[in-house]
Amino acid sequence: MAGMTITEKIMAYNSGRDKVKPGELVWTDVFSVMTMDYLGKSTFKSLHELGKTEVFDRERVICVSDHLVPPPTPAFATMLNEWRQVVKEHNIKYFYDLGRQGIAHQIMVENGHVLPGKISVGTDSHANTYGAVGAVGNAVSVTDAAVAMAIGKCWFRVPESVKFHITGKWQPYVMAKDLSLHIMGMMHWNGHLIYKALEYAGPAIEALDIAGRMTLCNMTVDLGAKNGIIAPDQKTIDYLRPVQKGNWEMIASDPDAHYDAVYEVDVTNIGPTVALPDKLDNVVPVEKVVGRKFNKAFVGTCTNGRLEDIAVLSQILKGKQVHPDVNFILVPASQQVYLDALRAGYITDLVEAGVAVDTPSCASCAGIHTGVAGDGDIVLSAGNRNMKGRMGSKNAQIYLTSPAVVAASALSGVISDPRLL
Amino acid sequence: MSDKIIRGKCWVASGYVMAYDIVVQKFWTDPIDKALNSKFIMSGVSPEFDKENAFKDAGYTFIVAGHNFAGGGKSIEHVVTGLMGAGIKAVFADSFSRLQFRNATNYGLPFITVKDLVSICQTGDELEFNMETNTVKNLRTGETRETAPLAPFVLEVAEAGGLVEFVKQKIADGTAHMLR
Ligand code: SF4
Repeated sequence: MAGMTITEKIMAYNSGRDKVKPGELVWTDVFSVMTMDYLGKSTFKSLHELGKTEVFDRERVICVSDHLVPPPTPAFATMLNEWRQVVKEHNIKYFYDLGRQGIAHQIMVENGHVLPGKISVGTDSHANTYGAVGAVGNAVSVTDAAVAMAIGKCWFRVPESVKFHITGKWQPYVMAKDLSLHIMGMMHWNGHLIYKALEYAGPAIEALDIAGRMTLCNMTVDLGAKNGIIAPDQKTIDYLRPVQKGNWEMIASDPDAHYDAVYEVDVTNIGPTVALPDKLDNVVPVEKVVGRKFNKAFVGTCTNGRLEDIAVLSQILKGKQVHPDVNFILVPASQQVYLDALRAGYITDLVEAGVAVDTPSCASCAGIHTGVAGDGDIVLSAGNRNMKGRMGSKNAQIYLTSPAVVAASALSGVISDPRLL
Repeated sequence: MSDKIIRGKCWVASGYVMAYDIVVQKFWTDPIDKALNSKFIMSGVSPEFDKENAFKDAGYTFIVAGHNFAGGGKSIEHVVTGLMGAGIKAVFADSFSRLQFRNATNYGLPFITVKDLVSICQTGDELEFNMETNTVKNLRTGETRETAPLAPFVLEVAEAGGLVEFVKQKIADGTAHMLR
């Protein structure tokens, strides 16, 4: 009998089976369920429609305020108040509200609410991020999340797996984001990866810290994949040990597992990479766009708002000045990240360089909160989506790239190659 | 004819069908209601369907499509309720957008993976879908294709009137923990 991939194993074991086949529909146990300010109230409403007033486990339904905090309008403030009340009524143990907030996906990983070999769902598309620690993370609708909250289960179609075997040596100032964008250009957002389990493996993945693995898994949703996953290793153990909210076992793909396709990528050949405005898969090496003007720089989001990303900004900007024609906004992904960056001195370096630091939230990423783009803005962003109107005005352009390219470019006011600093 | 066999006319997609075209933007905020959502269903896919009830009145039972049916990252449930309101009983495609696959299953409309059915069907062909043998047959040409098997709960969800009712019953009778 052929072996199974890590995703197949996780789906099998969490549904009480020895084996599953791609295409099969199974009900699995869910380890944790995340919902947030934007959709949380509707999710709890759906829970009640199922005839339940209590969640299946008050320690495994995680509530986060991220899209609307702090509220910029009275309407948002009212929504948040209603949300808080609903969370309190359900006696939820882990409520990351304003003051302890962060982007939900960051919160879930950084506080050990997702664990290797387990399945977690959330009412937001980038729940794929959880694969960074060897979990199956999946975005679901309000109804599915309510079912999971009610009975601790969710149904899934077992996906076919695709492996990216990544070898080679990471070049200076080349980040996980560059690999993500490179693969986006290679595969296209509506291509072969639709509905697949995307597994990253190989020496260049083992070399990545958890932050980089989160960036990679995070953007698998934008590649159309069902989930992105990296087998746990010693780095995963070290990261989770102080925070884990449960026990787990190491789980990895069998050597004879079947993949729909295996792609080899050598990171030695990848340099800083940029996605041009409007289309995520319109990707070029930074050299092709060097010299283009932009006026807004943005680093944050569940893709690139982590301590390691902020460290790169500080490395490039410390003791220098952001170009006067550039407005640079940094939004740490969580209060924990913010605090760690403060303690490391990065925030001081960046504020001295002329970077505006905003309190952790999704900020302008989805175009509904602080720092949105207006008509005529050209944004150089370390976020994850660049379609027209994503960050606000439809008459703004968004280039997507790594934090290193954003920082290097912010110095000159035109897109620049960090390797030439 | 057993209720595990459905016959009817099919509409065959000529290219990639996006969720945005099945339900065009001005209807995204409409309430979920099968009759309402079906009025202008598919209006962005082809100009011939851009008239009230045009797709519905054409009387199709099945849709046959290629890669990533209803893709584009839109999670609106109107896609599924609209198709159901227009009389669609099953959609066959090489692959589906996962958001709409979930919506379809949760409302009880089978979205069934069949490789390359597009190449043996034309719009207007009469098809026979047999859920017991997991096959779909083109009655005009006699050609048959195998479909991915339908999980039993998909039909049970349809019978219960959707996922919420299905799970609600399981919770009420104390069997929800047995779902596998
Ligand atoms: S940071 Fe952006 S992509 Fe991530 S959860 Fe928030 S809005 Fe979504």
